[in-house]
Amino acid sequence: MFFLTYLRRELRRRMRQAIFIALGLAVGIGLVITVLGASTGVKAAQAKVLRALYGIGTDVTVTTKPKPPSARPATGGQNAAGPGPGGGHATICLNGKCYTSGTIDTLVSGDSGALSAAAAGQIARLHDVSAAAGGLLLTDTRVVLPSSSSAPLQPPTSVSVDGTDISHPDLGPLSNGKLTDGRTFTAADAHADVAVVDANYATANKLKVGSTVTLAKTKFTVIGIVTQPQASSPPGVYIPLARAQALATDPGTGNSMRGKVNTVYVTAASAADIGAVQAEIEHLLPQATVTSSSDLASEITGSAASAAKLAGALGKWLAVLVLIAAFAVASLLTMAAVARRVPEFGTLKALGWRSSRIVSQVLGESVGTGIIGGLAGVGLGFVGVAIIDKVAPKLSATVPSAGSGLQTQVAGSGSGPVAGGPTGAAASHAATIAVPMSASVTVGAIILAVLLAVAGGLLAGSFGGWRAARLRPAAALARVA
Amino acid sequence: MTINVQHETPIYRLAGVSKIYRKGSREIPAVRDLDLEIRAGEWLAVQGKTGHGKTTLLQILGGLDRPTRGQVEFGGQDLASIPEARVRKVRASSFGFIFQTFNLVPTLSAQENVEAALIPLGVHLAQRRARVSAALDSVGLGDRAQHLPGELSGGQQQRVAIARALVKAPKVLLADEPTGNLDEDTRDEIISLLDTLWRERGLTLVLVSHDSSVVRRAQRIGVMARGHLSIRQDTRR
Repeated sequence: MFFLTYLRRELRRRMRQAIFIALGLAVGIGLVITVLGASTGVKAAQAKVLRALYGIGTDVTVTTKPKPPSARPATGGQNAAGPGPGGGHATICLNGKCYTSGTIDTLVSGDSGALSAAAAGQIARLHDVSAAAGGLLLTDTRVVLPSSSSAPLQPPTSVSVDGTDISHPDLGPLSNGKLTDGRTFTAADAHADVAVVDANYATANKLKVGSTVTLAKTKFTVIGIVTQPQASSPPGVYIPLARAQALATDPGTGNSMRGKVNTVYVTAASAADIGAVQAEIEHLLPQATVTSSSDLASEITGSAASAAKLAGALGKWLAVLVLIAAFAVASLLTMAAVARRVPEFGTLKALGWRSSRIVSQVLGESVGTGIIGGLAGVGLGFVGVAIIDKVAPKLSATVPSAGSGLQTQVAGSGSGPVAGGPTGAAASHAATIAVPMSASVTVGAIILAVLLAVAGGLLAGSFGGWRAARLRPAAALARVA
Repeated sequence: MTINVQHETPIYRLAGVSKIYRKGSREIPAVRDLDLEIRAGEWLAVQGKTGHGKTTLLQILGGLDRPTRGQVEFGGQDLASIPEARVRKVRASSFGFIFQTFNLVPTLSAQENVEAALIPLGVHLAQRRARVSAALDSVGLGDRAQHLPGELSGGQQQRVAIARALVKAPKVLLADEPTGNLDEDTRDEIISLLDTLWRERGLTLVLVSHDSSVVRRAQRIGVMARGHLSIRQDTRR
């Protein structure tokens, strides 16, 4: 009671100085919150990109390298194109088969090799794993060969396809989607020719619920349309995993993907277990590539990554420097204040006050000032974050694509290769996308601010308190004289 | 009115006390080989010129400073050699200080300034308030309890300081030039108040002053000159 009365009176007496110290701390803490807010915003933007690739709940993904294509007795090898034996017709060889006419529609696995579907179950049983689901990231490529040698060859079209494990709706790319029309998969759809399509793909191809989309020459009925976050490069079509396995081909072996997956999405029991989960999976599947979300984040390039580095390096150090300056000023001013109060503390010592009591009084006043500074700093932090939200330029991120295209060459009649790989979102191995950044103040940042404020107050007060504690009563009273 | 009863047993026994300050390699003796006994309930006044060791002697008596040599026996304990924590306890419970410049905490009210003396004793809040109120009443400032020092005259501030010294019911009152900052009328008021309180409460009063009219009221007068104390008068009032 007396402690608080004394503390309140002293703060009021030295209000100008208290305000000055509090403002110094507020600027430092405000800057820390702003940097943290910006950093959180950039991280959230990166997370959006990652979620778009692998879903909300995925901590770790498991893939494997594809097997090299085996030699086949076909023109140009396994997947090749060139003038046909007819002397003018285009010829396309895929997975050991050569075509000179008609429509070629193939659904093939992307960059990753095939894993046994049972691997997902084995991973799910690991100690630190909460859930695991297999998926197939595929590319459907469609090429229409002209019926006559004089007709021009149309470039191929392709779309990325996700074979979704319906029993694990919280894992995989579809988990991040927001249903805008129709419905999503149910258990009854496990073996049905039904598809959920991405809103952008639906718009581009004039698809709606009830329309059909053809994949690997099989018609799928569209049952739902989903949107993915703006900062994403999502698959165009989602189909049940079992159907994807039945229709897809492994480009490395030319075999069916029945009983196979090419990605396993894994959720760790807790964020702290991610490292352990990685190690456990690497032990279980030595040939597999185990990638955590932080590994994936490091693969992101572009201005989002630059902003993350800027916020993480320059911003952090700037905030640290300002904080150090604020703490130093607060400490010096507190020590100066204690020097002016030497006679007062000497008198209190003469009255029998313990040094610790006087020190705690000084510390209490400093911490009080620090808390005021911390609250003001939180306010300044909100202002700083709002300014960043207003003025920050839109970021871009270059991310590894969810699927990869079929490496197909198409040759025109007698004129050699005329077209490269497939087109569409899945065509390239990396995609550059706009990333909207929204800086925000988190509860953690506010708690950190309050802790910093208290630490700043304690630091300043401990210097002052140490000085007060060293006073001998006679020496202090001599200052009065 | 209660009359101060003096005991023959000394409350203080100082033997061979010297205090030497060091400034670089130079030694400045403030008190030299001082032997002194002060009886319980006695009023001893110490007179002397500025810089001749009066305040140093008072600080040694009050446990605010330690002598360079010698013994300062108070209540069976040698204040010169016991640990600082024990000296602080003795100071908190047995000594009341009155300073020339009043030394009140400017942000605390009269009541809170007096209350500050009870904080080290761990007195409960309700009891603290009652004792503070009684102490302020005893110096005639019961109606000024909520005033800040800046709102009080010099005489009133010194009364608050006296109340602060008395509120813990000390055995010894140590006053260093208590009237040095006051005009003549106020000086007489304060000295009369001290005289009354000394008589009523059976206090041992050691008062340092260079003012002869103040010193004259004491039972014994000592004079400090170049660090030596000589007792000139023993009125035995």
